[in-house]
Amino acid sequence: MNIGKIWNYISKPEVVPRLFAAFLCLILAIEFFVPTTYYEDQLYPKDTPQGQIFKSHLAPYDRGGIPLIKPADIKTQYPQFEPIKGKITAYLTPLSLWLSEKTPYFGTTIVSTPGGILDEILYYTRGMDTILESLTLLISFMIFSWIYLNRDRVE
Amino acid sequence: MSLNIDSIAGAFYGYVPFGDIVFYFTEFSLIGFIIALFFTLVVYLTKPEKQLESQIGDFGDKLNYVSLEELKIRRLMAIICGICTAFAMLTGDLFDYALFLAVIGIANMGIVSAVKKEGVLSAAFYYGIIAMISTLPLFGASALILAKTGTLSILELAKNSHDLLFQKIIYAVGMVGETGIAPFYAAKAEMFRAPGAPYILMIHLSSLLIIVRTVEIMLNIH
Repeated sequence: MNIGKIWNYISKPEVVPRLFAAFLCLILAIEFFVPTTYYEDQLYPKDTPQGQIFKSHLAPYDRGGIPLIKPADIKTQYPQFEPIKGKITAYLTPLSLWLSEKTPYFGTTIVSTPGGILDEILYYTRGMDTILESLTLLISFMIFSWIYLNRDRVE
Repeated sequence: MSLNIDSIAGAFYGYVPFGDIVFYFTEFSLIGFIIALFFTLVVYLTKPEKQLESQIGDFGDKLNYVSLEELKIRRLMAIICGICTAFAMLTGDLFDYALFLAVIGIANMGIVSAVKKEGVLSAAFYYGIIAMISTLPLFGASALILAKTGTLSILELAKNSHDLLFQKIIYAVGMVGETGIAPFYAAKAEMFRAPGAPYILMIHLSSLLIIVRTVEIMLNIH
């Protein structure tokens, strides 16, 4: 087989995702058989899946604590950088307190600020992650809306 | 728990804590940060290039230029890409770094998305597919590292040995797809054919800096 033909084949953009997917399959197939261990003393511990359903109205984000009285007991990497650790999860606005009494599914809804649940890990301990996650969504909407609004533009 | 700064390569100059995510300055990350921010400034201040395409076997040359509406969105995307590249140099958290890669990947597509050329757009589309499938190894490797070691902080992971070779391989594969580098360079090379020099070069610079930074992280954690 002529090597020039191979170069020409992989130079097409539509071939590249296929090659990458095949490469990824190969790597992950090998990695599947590599033994690994689980470290018990984890950061950001969470209740078992479905463990809080119908037991707490904040399920699955109930991390303990009483709003404005007792902060929740949260395990983090650098507690010295988090002076109000545990108080974020326990805090609910009056509207969200009212809502949470009405429904057992309050924790699974994003009733956005000022009504929504504020999760400690998402918004305080690892707040930078949440900023970047929403930034990704925001940028994709910007790109989409620009393309949509300028779809009739000609060069 | 105190901040472990002894195991990190290079001199340690300081840190900026955002809760558990600590941004830290070493010689390496500071140089990358300054280069990325300087180039962002260059992108903001300069005007885009104009390309003159010679027509072979035909009369008349074709002038490619970037119109004002196109310039605005492409410059915005290039600046977002530059700022994210700069802060990806500093971050001290594996998951946060993976998210920076995701933002840079989508901003790269945004830089070329305004170009009305079929070849460029289809290349950007295929690059987007690669970026999407590579989120699985990238975030999967972060999750595996968290499960195996119990922490995501690069400073803590550098402290003692955890035997992370295979997790690091998956993480590197995710980075390869997300920044679209060699040996899967083809789709990105097509994207480079779009007119508008400083914005297109931002894709290139962010890829280069991200590759170097990933190598530095992979050498630091063990």
